[in-house]
Amino acid sequence: MSSSSLATHQAETSPDAGGAFSFRVSDEPIDVPAEQATLSDPGAGGYVAFEGWVRETNEGRRVVRLAYEAYPMLANREGRRILEEARQRFGLKSASCLHRTGLLEIGGLAVWVGVSAAHRGEAFAACRYIIDEVKHRVPVWKQEFYEDGDSGWVNCERCAAAAGPAQSNATSTAANASHGHTHEHDHRHGHSHTHDDGHHHAHAPQTTAPQPAIASRLPDYARQMALPEVGAAGQAKLGAAKVLVIGCGGLGVPVATYLAGAGIGSLTLVDPDILEATNLHRQIAYAAADCGQAKVLLLAARLRALNPSIGLHTHVEAADVALLDALVPRHDVVVDCTDRLSVKFAVNDAAVRHGVPAVLASVHQYEGQVQVVRPGSSCLRCVWPQAPRDGVVGNCAEAGVLGPVPGLIGTWQAFEVLRLLLDLEAPREGVLTVDLLAGQTRFLRAPRATDCPEHALKQTVATDAPLELPSLAAGLARGLCVVDVRDAAEAAANPLSVAHHHLPMAALLQDLQQLPAAENGWLFVCMRGIRSRSVAEACREAGHAAAYSLSGGAPH
Amino acid sequence: MSQTYTLQYFAVLREQARCREERVTTSAITPDELYAEVRARHGFTLEANFLRVAVNDEFADWHAPLCDGDHIVFIPPVAGG
Repeated sequence: MSSSSLATHQAETSPDAGGAFSFRVSDEPIDVPAEQATLSDPGAGGYVAFEGWVRETNEGRRVVRLAYEAYPMLANREGRRILEEARQRFGLKSASCLHRTGLLEIGGLAVWVGVSAAHRGEAFAACRYIIDEVKHRVPVWKQEFYEDGDSGWVNCERCAAAAGPAQSNATSTAANASHGHTHEHDHRHGHSHTHDDGHHHAHAPQTTAPQPAIASRLPDYARQMALPEVGAAGQAKLGAAKVLVIGCGGLGVPVATYLAGAGIGSLTLVDPDILEATNLHRQIAYAAADCGQAKVLLLAARLRALNPSIGLHTHVEAADVALLDALVPRHDVVVDCTDRLSVKFAVNDAAVRHGVPAVLASVHQYEGQVQVVRPGSSCLRCVWPQAPRDGVVGNCAEAGVLGPVPGLIGTWQAFEVLRLLLDLEAPREGVLTVDLLAGQTRFLRAPRATDCPEHALKQTVATDAPLELPSLAAGLARGLCVVDVRDAAEAAANPLSVAHHHLPMAALLQDLQQLPAAENGWLFVCMRGIRSRSVAEACREAGHAAAYSLSGGAPH
Repeated sequence: MSQTYTLQYFAVLREQARCREERVTTSAITPDELYAEVRARHGFTLEANFLRVAVNDEFADWHAPLCDGDHIVFIPPVAGG
């Protein structure tokens, strides 16, 4: 550790607490024996330490390595508050916590907590308290690098509830980190705010009180929650939602920005393009200095600064059928913001295939078109059965566009996404046309086409086999994998007599990828055959033809 | 016998027609007849099979009979983003 970091460290040690109380984030490896030595105290009868390691999987995905980023000043301040709370609550002799920043490999030591107290009970409890609070409150971001080359930003267990980071400064730290300046930046913050920190500490004895200054560092959704149609329940829906945004240009920028601001739980951004100077007049989240960098990564950094509490996943690649088939079923809504008709149709088709709603839009000079496609509604192919090839109708590069046009149309798309997620008044089936020169909107109704090729495809999948089977034996005879979709308590009260998997319906419908691998398909079972039928239908809509429901439910 | 329609154009059709709306009195009684007529007059490059027609704000069949006074929109898909 360099001498300048040491100075920061000492300034962060509480002056009036007897033993050592030290919290810091650092891009240096953690020297556990040295840290442990700082905790020794003649009055201490017990010492407890916790080590947090980098795990190789998260949410089922193989993680190769990960990187932590922090805003050191704020992280250190919040960390010290937690230690002070622990000291007061548990009567600790001393406590120390270090959180790593920078790149870590699997098995690496990411966070270390050590405490000493007169008795083991307080030591165990305080150690647990500190790690839980640190994970929840200290503003540290984790970027996971997956085996498949993808990467995603994961917020370290912090939800929109309590503490949060200073957005603008966090971004500048993050941006510098990507240029390899983290170290220098850390020290500058540490030094320039040392005096300020000490001052704050001396005048803040009520450390367990709510921290309004810190809470304001995250978006406060009060203005949208004040709407009677939103409220806490609506906000919870948004917080649980996953939205896939294809294209991070003139449409994608307002879409992703408004959704991040609204507190959508997780956003996935897909775009292969790098930022060009010709984009800036309409893609207003970007900076001229960023030209030449991948839009997806730039936009993710901007959104992370806007709302550090959301999850962000990035794909610097074009959305082809394979990628869409992998991503669309994992999301609640897909938003097409591309400027290519072929991609728009691919997004539409994937949305119909997987039963996921889609919000599609395009602009042309001074006009825009918006279409919301929901399961069972008319789709893009119902309206345009004969899709012109790319280039026939012109995109922004060919036809020209004024910046606010995609801004308005993208904003409209963001609204439609919120409408879907909040179950507001249902969107109409058809195409909204906007002509800004004329100051006109016109909604063209489009009922579902009976001969729509995309829907017809689904229809064949859905109807070429009976949905229900009369008995478990009939399912086993077909070699089906039996899946009990009842709640745990129901399943325990009347367990199935055959080998089976247990996946409650609500969880399963959230993500059909959870289905166990089954060569011949699945037979779903519930209490009466209603929920299992819904699950089987959902599976067929997602393209799994061999999904069946046990008629009448589990045998009694 | 002739009927009068209000026609509205979008996107590349608006560009090529150099107007977004016009009233047309014609003997055409289906959208495809009407489009053939205005296509010849304005020099529209897009063939009808790349377009949709909406009659009184609902997408309609190219061969459905039109009524006097109908509002007719010719609209191509657009691709910009």
